[in-house]
Amino acid sequence: MKLKTFFLVALLSVAINSAAQEIPTGDLLVRNATVLTITNGTLENTDVLIQDGIITAVGEQLSASQDVPVIDATGMYVMPGIIDAHSHIGISNVNESSAPVTAQVSVGDVLNPYSIAIYRALAGGVTSSHVMHGSANVIGGQNETIKHRWGLLDPDELRMAGAPRTIKFALGENPTRVHGRGNNKRPASRMGVEYVLRETFAKAQRYQEAWAQYEENAKTNPRAIPPAYNSQLEVMANILSGDILIHCHSYRADEILMLLGVLEDFGVDQITLQHVNEGFKIAPELAEFGATASVFADWWGYKFEVYYSTAYNAAILTRNGVLTSINSDSGELNRHLYHEAAKSQKYGDLSDDEALALITINPAIQLGIGDRIGSIEVGKEGDLAIFDRHPLSVYAINQKTVVDGIVYFDVETDTDDMRLIVDPESTVDTVVLHSHDDTHQCLYEGSLDLYDFLESN
Amino acid sequence: MMSIFYSLLIAVTLLFPPSLEKTDTVTALTNARIVTVTQGTIESGTILIQDGKIIQIGMNVDIPEDARVIDLAGLSVYPGMIDSGTQMGLIEVGSLPETRDASELCDLSPQMKALTAVNPNGVAIPVTRVSGVTTVLTVPSGGMLPGQAALINLHGYTPQQMFAGFEGVILRFPATGRRGRFDSRSEEEVKKAADEAMKKLNDTWDSAELHNRIDSTYQTRPEDGRKPEYVPSMEALRDVIRGEQTLIIQVNAANDILAAIEWVQARDIDRVLFSGLAEGWRVADKIAETGIPCLVGPVLSIPTRQSDRFDKAYKNAGLMHAAGVKIALRSDDTANARNLPYHAGFATAYGLPIEEALRAVTINPAEIFGVSDRLGSLEVGKEATFFVSDGDPFETATTIHHVFIAGYEIPMESRHTRLYEEFLQRSPGLHKHGQD
Amino acid sequence: MNVNYSTFAVAVCCIVLINQPVKAQVNSGESVPDVTRTIALTNAHVIQSPGQIQEQSNVIIRDGLIVAVGPDAAIPFDAIEISADSLTVYAGFIDGLSHTGIPQPRQQPEQERPDDPAFPPNELAGILPHRDVRGLLDPKDKRIASMRESGFTAAHVVPRGRMLPGLGAIILLGGDTPNEMVYRGETSLYAQLSGARRMYPGTDMAVIAKLRQLYRESERRHRVEQLYSENPTGLERPRYDPVHYAMFPVLEGNRPIYFQTDDVLDLHRVLSVQEELGFPAVLTGLSQSFDAIDKLKSANLPLLLTLELPKELRKDKKEPPTDSTKATPTDAPVALPEVMHLDYDPDLRVTSFTDIAIEKENLEARRHMAYKTHVSNAATLEAEGLSFGFSTGGASPSDLLTNVRKMVDEGLSETAALAALTTTPAQILGLTSSMGTVEVGKMGNLVVTKGSIFDEDGEIQYVFVDGRKYDVEPPKKSSGGGGESGANPVGTWSLTISSPDGEIAGTLTISGSDDDWSGTLIVEVDPEAAPLEYIAMTDNVLTFSFNAGGFGTISSSLTLDADSMNGSFDVPNVGPVSVSGTRTSGPEKSTQFYD
Repeated sequence: MKLKTFFLVALLSVAINSAAQEIPTGDLLVRNATVLTITNGTLENTDVLIQDGIITAVGEQLSASQDVPVIDATGMYVMPGIIDAHSHIGISNVNESSAPVTAQVSVGDVLNPYSIAIYRALAGGVTSSHVMHGSANVIGGQNETIKHRWGLLDPDELRMAGAPRTIKFALGENPTRVHGRGNNKRPASRMGVEYVLRETFAKAQRYQEAWAQYEENAKTNPRAIPPAYNSQLEVMANILSGDILIHCHSYRADEILMLLGVLEDFGVDQITLQHVNEGFKIAPELAEFGATASVFADWWGYKFEVYYSTAYNAAILTRNGVLTSINSDSGELNRHLYHEAAKSQKYGDLSDDEALALITINPAIQLGIGDRIGSIEVGKEGDLAIFDRHPLSVYAINQKTVVDGIVYFDVETDTDDMRLIVDPESTVDTVVLHSHDDTHQCLYEGSLDLYDFLESN
Repeated sequence: MMSIFYSLLIAVTLLFPPSLEKTDTVTALTNARIVTVTQGTIESGTILIQDGKIIQIGMNVDIPEDARVIDLAGLSVYPGMIDSGTQMGLIEVGSLPETRDASELCDLSPQMKALTAVNPNGVAIPVTRVSGVTTVLTVPSGGMLPGQAALINLHGYTPQQMFAGFEGVILRFPATGRRGRFDSRSEEEVKKAADEAMKKLNDTWDSAELHNRIDSTYQTRPEDGRKPEYVPSMEALRDVIRGEQTLIIQVNAANDILAAIEWVQARDIDRVLFSGLAEGWRVADKIAETGIPCLVGPVLSIPTRQSDRFDKAYKNAGLMHAAGVKIALRSDDTANARNLPYHAGFATAYGLPIEEALRAVTINPAEIFGVSDRLGSLEVGKEATFFVSDGDPFETATTIHHVFIAGYEIPMESRHTRLYEEFLQRSPGLHKHGQD
Repeated sequence: MNVNYSTFAVAVCCIVLINQPVKAQVNSGESVPDVTRTIALTNAHVIQSPGQIQEQSNVIIRDGLIVAVGPDAAIPFDAIEISADSLTVYAGFIDGLSHTGIPQPRQQPEQERPDDPAFPPNELAGILPHRDVRGLLDPKDKRIASMRESGFTAAHVVPRGRMLPGLGAIILLGGDTPNEMVYRGETSLYAQLSGARRMYPGTDMAVIAKLRQLYRESERRHRVEQLYSENPTGLERPRYDPVHYAMFPVLEGNRPIYFQTDDVLDLHRVLSVQEELGFPAVLTGLSQSFDAIDKLKSANLPLLLTLELPKELRKDKKEPPTDSTKATPTDAPVALPEVMHLDYDPDLRVTSFTDIAIEKENLEARRHMAYKTHVSNAATLEAEGLSFGFSTGGASPSDLLTNVRKMVDEGLSETAALAALTTTPAQILGLTSSMGTVEVGKMGNLVVTKGSIFDEDGEIQYVFVDGRKYDVEPPKKSSGGGGESGANPVGTWSLTISSPDGEIAGTLTISGSDDDWSGTLIVEVDPEAAPLEYIAMTDNVLTFSFNAGGFGTISSSLTLDADSMNGSFDVPNVGPVSVSGTRTSGPEKSTQFYD
């Protein structure tokens, strides 16, 4: 990682600035709840104390100073804030679909803290989302892990500072349709997808070597000429060095095995497969590689590569030792991920803890933040969802959502109109009618792309 | 390429033909908690079925000696759930046009019949019915008058065997709402487009009424009149105008619902349903006044306005019911129409009384579609279409143990269950077939 | 678009002529020849600079310069004397940024498809940091005269385009040839978060990534170029390329990037990338800066606030009704209290249909508050101690003064408003030694008004540009805007169909006349022309439908405004997709910019 001393300072400055951002944190005492810790079982009549945004105590009859706000959660269920491992909320762009490789772009550059979808997710108990680039490209853009701090207007305040960088990859129908059939450019097949991956990784290795050689030369030769700067290969090199985690949109078993082979050859050992509808077929191979899976609870049938699906996917993967999460990929589903997780009890009889882990600690681990969020433990960040019933019941209603010890959603006191900005020119009854297709990003990517339709004719 | 795909499809369906264990002999379901929906709940009772019908229900039922007995101790029987809006059988794989038969090209094609295009071997059919959804309205889409929806049971070798006794002409009422996230038209443009569509609708209806008059005249006095032109779309609307066919109006925005009410009244349409009603709660009093039944949903959807409270879509059904509107629920889905009970569950969590939520997926749609003599509740003389569960069917932890459709006991399997069985513990596991 | 701009730019640079004698107006045919270049405005109320007033003063202009200001300034023998007894003299206004003088091209830039959309040529991708706006000036652009009639005498103009449209220049809003108009060139690099259509960079995030790449690689090439110029021996010759080399003055701190921000999200994004790369920058647009005040303060960059405001809805107007007993004409102002209660209840909970009326009022009140927030944006900046100049980009010339007055009504001080029109843009643009105040030695750029420019009744009488007098007709009292009667859709239109992941180009051809239209549509992805059906033209809205194969029947509604159209295609199962277009040919009568 001693590449690019030439550019280092500037590249780091962003991270430094966002780290320096004053993110507000709060103190909070939640009293007398049924606490679903996820990693440490269910605790009855238990208090959770958060100080400066960090959980400092979990136990009975905790005390806190007078000025700490108290929530009486008698009869309620407290769980860790829900984490959505695959989302496209709160960003202005999803796909930079012009090229099969766009590693250099990042949705983190186009965060939109005004998006009402963030508040709606918060209302469903979701405190963090992994907002992702779309799946038009074999190597798509970088993603961003955000916390739902509704009401903070600086996009930087949405970022979960310190969360590992991640990048979107995509296999199968979407990239072959967009580039192969759309632009007559590779990849037009799953064979081509493999070689887009291999070539790009190989170029990144050459790029690393060229810079290493320059650094070496520069020690003795002040007139050494640095190689051409390539922001895309910079990012690819960061993947090779393990600094960026891959989250790969993938469906079919064969293409996933192909990906694992490529990663093995290039020494990349961390991978989260997104959607992975046929993951169940190769659960033993995934477990052996150490790959993790982030799946839909029950989405299938919207395109050919999800035709041979089963809603038992999460259960089969879990039972075979594959760390699995359930995600939304949708501004509708993300409001009831607790219900999506509950479906794993219908489809495969997961235990309560196993089911809740699908939307808490497991996605946290996949995002490299398992030590910070995803369970109720001392030392973790104070992100909670407080339900009136057990959250795996269809009748459960989230009452309060807490991020960093601050209540950002309260079913009792929040008003109807929670918009942060209002269009001064629009009439008040502007109605947007959503269909399932419309709210579902992957469906959109799969079939509702306008020029895709035009092209298919 | 597509032919390979089709042969795949056919291969799959041949492997798993629908099972037709129609019981000529009596089947007795005993020791069951029987949720009749219309006549209360029997905590422990027996249902006798024969020839596809329920012949007895009660706490003290004599079981014929040769009856097949299924002991349902600890389990509950509910009437099969009815989804009042899907595209079941019309769409196989969403993104593949070759497998989509839900839309015709014209804007005005009310003569198109969804039933014609229902594929009894659609893979979603078993996936749906093993979740207790036994009957669905399958709806064509596209254009202003996309065709006729059909109520089908999710079992049968032919569309006709599946047909559950109701068809209705779909009208997509001119909308002033924006459709989707990327609709960036100005408000004037939205309004204008709706006005134009409204004009087109009225022109169409004028023609249909005229066509009807010509036809009526010809029927009564063939010697005076002329045989009307052959215009199939007008003939389809003629049945609606004469009150012989139901018109199902898809309408969502509050102002559009009001406009639709006005239009229905102005056109004096007798048999009419509303479908969709995303903003029904806003004008629920006005809908209630008309008595028009509403097929509401999806419940699991996002509010129509940015300024709406986050849970308005969840609450919609409950608020409409509270205002006196007769409602049935729809998933507006196909692959996941199996989630109908969860739409009902969410509606319940957000204010629809649970008994009413159950009615909204059973007897209400049966009544609304005019098939309550056959479906919608557990009563003697009705079809034996029901499911058996180990608990509240709206809860995800509940398992459905049996499903009967018109007396046929449905095998409790689908692609999803079969893949589960095959792959939970895959054999061979890792490293077989000689590869390291 | 393959003009060799660099060559052209060099040619233009060599002939920057500012003190040319004023020529008779060529195009008016019969104008009387000028006999003197000396003008004396006598006995005027002179606002020399914001807050600095001279009563009953004379202002003497000679050879394009202000040569004397004051009560005692002598009137030269050769002066044309203009009695300004009841008039006020301001420094000529300076437009911080716009496309004035660069008409919207009638011919859309070629919709050429690159061989590989991943690596398009810079020209197609809208990356033209070397393109000089001076090569694009058209003295006949109608906006020049209409801007001048609103008191603007100089403007910082930049090319139209996408991500990096090119180099800006300061122009005078008078003159018959481009060269006469140009005051200074290569003043700035213009940038916007505006992607290319269906090629890289297509989205905002890709524009930002492209800017990073371009900037970092320019830094490297700059360094290599330095090493080579110090001593070429042993070094491979660095290759010239106009794009990276055009960035060198930016890297050296000598050429600020004027970065357009259309909303608060743009603003955050531009500030982030500016902070990251560290280029000299001026922020323009800023229409929602009220939501990012702290960040603007810490960024401490020069600001150019757009004079565009949200459309004022009828109910936002404050005038009382003329007579409430009479039927109110639809576009007459209605008093707010009659339209709604202005009290916004932030705690309102809507429980059922019974609350709908209250909800509507409440939302309307909130919308009105949002309108006020936008209009008071300038006042907010002032109150927060952030100084700014005005830019006219995006705003219609006829709205400029109206909008300044609205801002003043919402709390912007007249001093700050005048500074934003004169001294602050002069500072930002490096023009203080020649423009922005009514002082001896400055250029003869003046605005002469009857009444205060900030009063609704204030009227501009004369505008002086470079010492040349322009009479201003009193504004026609129809502030209705366009008012085109019976728009004509005939012609060929170049369409842009916006799908969220990129744009699709199309060509729409309409022929015929009222109620007998015909037409076709070709989209770039399908060479087959689709015949249009149900074509209708109502007022200025064009509607039609066409069959897109298995995709269904697409109906379309497009609103025409002269040679542009906007609207949508309603795509079955997809929903409406927005469409915009420009007329590329016909009908004859609407040839506005070229005669």
